[in-house]
Order: sequence, then C-alpha cells, then structure tokens
Amino acid sequence: MAHIELAPGIEDGGMATMIADIIKGNLEEKPKREKDFNALKGSIYMQAEDAEVDMTLIFNKGSLEVHNGMVGKPKISIVTDSGTLLDLANISVKFGLPYYFDATGRDVIAKLVTGKLKIKGLMSHPIKLTRFTKLMSVK
Amino acid sequence: MAYTHGTPEWEAAYVQKTKERMESQPKPYIYFMPEWVGAWENFLKADPIYKSVALPDWQGAVVLHVQKNPDFGVDQDIYVYLDLHKNECRSIRIVPSEYGKKGAYVITGSIERWMAVGKKQLDVVKGMMQGKLKLKGNLPAIVRAIKPAVRLVEAAAEVGGSMPDEWSPAQIETVRKTIKELAAEFNID
Repeated sequence: MAHIELAPGIEDGGMATMIADIIKGNLEEKPKREKDFNALKGSIYMQAEDAEVDMTLIFNKGSLEVHNGMVGKPKISIVTDSGTLLDLANISVKFGLPYYFDATGRDVIAKLVTGKLKIKGLMSHPIKLTRFTKLMSVK
Repeated sequence: MAYTHGTPEWEAAYVQKTKERMESQPKPYIYFMPEWVGAWENFLKADPIYKSVALPDWQGAVVLHVQKNPDFGVDQDIYVYLDLHKNECRSIRIVPSEYGKKGAYVITGSIERWMAVGKKQLDVVKGMMQGKLKLKGNLPAIVRAIKPAVRLVEAAAEVGGSMPDEWSPAQIETVRKTIKELAAEFNID
C-alpha cells in the first residue's frame, strides 16, 4: 500500500491535496502502477502559474511527501497553467508508456513546444518523468 | 404541506413550483433560486457543447454546494444537484443537504466564490487549485471528466442572472423569504 503524506499546514482542497488525491486514486484503481511509485526517488516541483500556487512532491521508493511551495532543489519541475496541469493527468498510457499521439497528447506537446508548458529535467531524467506521468495519468 | 424528498409528489411539486416561478419572476433571474436553476437545466439540456464534451460512460451526480451567507439573505447552505447520465443532463434540483452531501462529486464554495465564477472572474479549475472551490469525490474520475465539469459551470455563467452583490436590501429580504418558504415546502434544510 502506497504511503502518501501531506505536510503539515496544507490546506484541504488546494492543488497539493488534489494532486495527492489523483495519485492515491490512481494507485487504488490501477495497482500495477505501484511498481512506478515504488521505483520513484527524488523531488518534483509543480507550479500552476495562473493560480499562483506551487508544490513539491518528494518520492522515496514507496512513499510520498507532499508539500506546498518549493522544498529543496527538485531535479524535475513542471510549470504551466492549471488547465494544462490537469491535461497532463489526462495523458493516456499505452503499452506501459505515456501516449502522445491522441488529441490530449498532441495538445501537451504543442504547449511544450510553444513554451506554455515548461518542464525541467525532460532530457536529464526521462525515466523518472515517465514514471511520474504514469502515476498522474487518470487514463 | 411539506413534501418528502425522493417521492413523486416532491418531484411534481418542485417542477410545478419552478415552472410558476419561471413565468412569474422578472428576468434576469436571481442566482440559485428555483427559476434560475430551471433556466440552467433547460440551457444544459439543449447545450451542444456539453453534449459534445460529456463522457459517454459518465455516471454520477455533481452537486454545487453554496455556503450560506446571511448578508445576502442566504441563511442556509444550498445544494444544487445535477443529475447527469452519459452525455445528458437529466435534471437540476435544489435538494435537502443530507441528499446533496451524498452526491458523487460535490464542489463547495462560498457565495462570493460562485459569484466570481458566474462573472467569469474565477476559472473553475484555477479556483480548485487555489482551494477557493473545494472538490469532494473520486479525483481521477472527475479529472477524466474535467472538460464536461468545466462546461457545466461555464454554462451556469452563460445563463446569466442577478448576482448577490447587485441585490437591494429589499431583494435580499425577498431571497431570504423565498429560501425559507422553499425549505419549509420541500424539506430543504
């Protein structure tokens, strides 16, 4: 069973709890993805620019701590608007990998190319990012 | 006579009340009053955008929970229950809190937040990210349906209506009286 912990002070209902609930719900619905959860180690920073909220997820091979704001120096960061963050959660997973060839996937790629979605660590940590995308995907 | 929610009599009386109020109340309707809810229902039933983005396998009611604010004459929380099935909006009703809380997905906000949504000053997704609107329910399921969920709320804004900050003291008292009467007649506590 995945251990997900919210840092003290996280207000119920905001971005941090939403993302945590998405990951938690996904793991309940798709237990196969626990393999990715258990393999992930490191921090991921997310920011919804339009909403002016940010958070850090600290994975440690089978556990996850969720914090508001930036904690430490995350190797991966995802900065975009609120809607695109939820689009990321709608990326399909096919054959165990994120699938970018449907409408949602193409939209995400277009935002990446045009700079509306900024991902740091895309080239340096592709496996970590792939595992995280799978954990976030509700598809 | 107070009707019992969930009975055919309640449903028939509610529909009749909405019809009467839609005919008798001046436009723009007051937000979250039965006539406004009725207009929203009619709008969504005919909305091609909602039909096109709604998930064909969707099941589950979405409830808008409006928190009370006596300053606007809203002395009790209001639960607006959207009965959604596949890509169809079957009905929208103001329901008793006990029933509304059981909705599969409940979005809660203060009347000021809903007013901001209605004026398109607050984007729903952004509001949820900021914690200004709180979502209760299966998150993966609602995220899968984020486009239809957003459309439901956008449609509410498109229906338009009279906003609480536009109400005169006399209108606030009318709202207070209407909610009280509805609560008594339809057991909406």
